[in-house]
Amino acid sequence: MSAVPSTSGQHSGRLYWPVQAGRNVGVRGLFAVVLAFIVAYGFLFPGLFTMSGFAKFTQSWFPLALVAMAQALLMLTGGISLAIGATVSLGAVIAATTMVGPLGVAGGSALVAAAGLGIGAITGFIVVKLRLPAIVVTLAGSFIIGGAALLILPRPGGAMPEWLSDLLAGNTPAAFLLLVAIVLLWKLYLATPLGLSLYAAGENPVGAYRSGVPVDAARIAAYALSGLLSTGAGLFVAAQTGSGDPVIGAAFTLNSIAAAVLGGIGFLGGQGTMRGALAGSLLLSLMISVMFFLGFTPVAQYVAQGLIIIGAVALPQFRKVQR
Amino acid sequence: MKLSLFASASALGLGLALSFGAVSQAQAAANCIKGDRKAPYTIGWANIYSVPTWMKQTQGTLEAQVEELKKQGLVDKLVVTDAQGDANVQIQQIQSMIDSDVDAIILIAGSSTAPARVLADACAKGIAIINFDSLVDTDQVTAKVNTDSAQWGEQAAKFLVEQMGGKGNILVLNGPAGVSVSDDRRKGATPVLEANPDVKILAETNTAYNVAPAQEAVTSLLFANPEIDGILSLGGALSAGAVLALDKQGRAQVPITGENARQFLELWKEKDLKGWATMQPNWLGAFATWLSVQALEGKDVPAFVKIPLPVIDNSNIGDYLARAADFPADGYIYSSYDQALFEKLLAGK
Repeated sequence: MSAVPSTSGQHSGRLYWPVQAGRNVGVRGLFAVVLAFIVAYGFLFPGLFTMSGFAKFTQSWFPLALVAMAQALLMLTGGISLAIGATVSLGAVIAATTMVGPLGVAGGSALVAAAGLGIGAITGFIVVKLRLPAIVVTLAGSFIIGGAALLILPRPGGAMPEWLSDLLAGNTPAAFLLLVAIVLLWKLYLATPLGLSLYAAGENPVGAYRSGVPVDAARIAAYALSGLLSTGAGLFVAAQTGSGDPVIGAAFTLNSIAAAVLGGIGFLGGQGTMRGALAGSLLLSLMISVMFFLGFTPVAQYVAQGLIIIGAVALPQFRKVQR
Repeated sequence: MKLSLFASASALGLGLALSFGAVSQAQAAANCIKGDRKAPYTIGWANIYSVPTWMKQTQGTLEAQVEELKKQGLVDKLVVTDAQGDANVQIQQIQSMIDSDVDAIILIAGSSTAPARVLADACAKGIAIINFDSLVDTDQVTAKVNTDSAQWGEQAAKFLVEQMGGKGNILVLNGPAGVSVSDDRRKGATPVLEANPDVKILAETNTAYNVAPAQEAVTSLLFANPEIDGILSLGGALSAGAVLALDKQGRAQVPITGENARQFLELWKEKDLKGWATMQPNWLGAFATWLSVQALEGKDVPAFVKIPLPVIDNSNIGDYLARAADFPADGYIYSSYDQALFEKLLAGK
C-alpha cells in the first residue's frame, strides 16, 4: 500500500504494472474471497451468466459501489461522511420529482449533480477551512440533508420516466458499463493535480502542504466529488425503483463505511485503494444473494456475515504476521 | 423453462378446446397467476425486519401455516429473508427469490414505493404475491391484505365517547409522528371527536410504540391536568404506559382504549379497567400464506382483502387472558383463527 499515487502517465510503462500489483498486496485476500463468492453464486444460480441475470445483479451492487467510492474518496483524504445516506435520499427525491416534469431528464440530472457537488463542496469547505471535525459536521449535515429530502417529498412517491428506468435498471448491463466508465474517470482524476494531491493530503497533510501540494483544495474537491457520487447513487436508486422515497438511502451511510474498511481503506487517511473499496462493496452485495441461495436462515446470515467480514479483513494480517 | 412453456401452451390449447365455462374459470384466476405452477409450492417470505416481537409472532403463524400446508402436500419449502430494515436489500432479496423461481412471495414492505418494479417482474413471471401490513403502491401484486387504520381510530374514539357519556377531558396518545399507521388512526378518530364538542382534548402525545416513553409523557401530563376522564390511546404499549403512570401517582383509572399487547390486557384485568382494544392480528402472516396457495391453486382472489378489526372489550377480555400463557410477555395476544375464518375472509363475508 504505497502512499504515492502512481499513474501511467508519470512512470515508464515498465513500472506501471509492478506498482499496481504491489498496491494489491493488502487486498489480495479480499479479492480471493470475492472471487470465491462469485464462483459460488454462479454455481448456485447459473442464470447469473445470462445477460439479464448479470444485469440484475450488477444493478443491486451499483448504488453500493458508488457510495463505497464516495466514502473511500473521503477516507483517503483523512475525512469521513455520515451524511452519505441522506445525500442518496436527496438525490433520489430530486430525480423523482423533476424528471417527469418540465425539466426533463437532462434538467433533473443537472439538478441532482448540482445538489451533490454543492452539498459536498459546502461540507468540505466547513470541514477544511473552519477546521471542524468531519464526523460532527457530516452528522449535522445528515439531519439537514435528510430534512430537505423530506421537505421535497414528505411521503414516498414521485415518478421516473419509464424509459430511463428500463435503460438503467432493465435487462441490459447498462449499470455495469456506467460503473466501468466511472472507474476510468477516477483513474483520469488521479492523473490531475487535484487527484495527485489526494493521497498526499490524507497521508501527511503538513508535509504535503510544505511541498506545495494544494491540500485544502484537494480535500474540498474530494468532498464535492463524494457528494456527486452520492446523489448519483440516489438518481440510480430512483430509476431502479421507479419512484422516490425520502428515507431510501438511510442504510448506505454505514454500508459505505463497511465497504471501504473491508476494502482496506484506513481511517487515518492516505491508506488503501479504490479497487479495494469496490471489492468490499461487491462482497457486501454478493453476500446477500449467496446466503439466500445457500438457504441460510436470517439468524445464520447475521453470524455468517460477521465471520466473512472478519475473515476478509484478517486474512492479509495473518500472512503478514507469519512473515 | 421449456417445460413451463409447454405447460402454458397446452393449457391454452385446453382452454380453447373446452367449453365456455372452463374459459371463464381461467379468466377468474387471480392477478399475476398464469396457472403453470403446480403444487407442491415454494413460498418466499420477504420480511423487512425480523427483530420486533410483533414480527416474530407473525412469522410464527406463517411458519405454522406452512407446516399445515406441507401436510396437505401443497407446499414443500419456505425460504425466509430479513432485510434488516433496508428497503434496498429487500429489493435484492425479492430479486433472488425471482431468480430461484419461488412460486409465491409474501411481503411486508420496507418502502411503499421502492419494491414496485421488482414486484412487477415477479408478477410477470406468474409468481403469486401477497402483500400485507405495510403495503406497496402498485397493482402488480396478487392481493393486498390489511386492516383499516382509520376504522381503528374511529371505533376507539366511539367507545371512549360513549363511556364518558359524551363529555369530559381526554388525553390522546399517538404513535410516532409521520408514520402512516399512526397518522391514519388519528385521522379516523378526528370526525368522532369533532362530532362531540363536549369531549375536550387536553393534550396529545407522539411517542414510539413503547411503554417507557408513553409512561413518561403521560406522567408529566398528569401533573398539569388534575381532571382527566378518559384516555384515547392508539397503540398497545402506549396504553400500558398510561395505566402505569396513573397507578404510580395514585390516580383513579379512567376508561382507556388500546391494542392487544399482553401487558396492557393483564393490567386491564388487574386494575379492573373499562377498556377497549383491537389489533393488527399476527395471523395475517398465516392468512397471506394460505391466500397465496389459494391463488396458485386457481381460486379467484380479490385484489384487496380487508380484515375486520377483532375487538376486545370487558365482555371477552377473559377469553384472551385465558390464553395469555401461550404468548410472550412482551407480545400480543391475537384473536384465535382457523381455516374456516380464512375461507370467510376470502369470500368477503
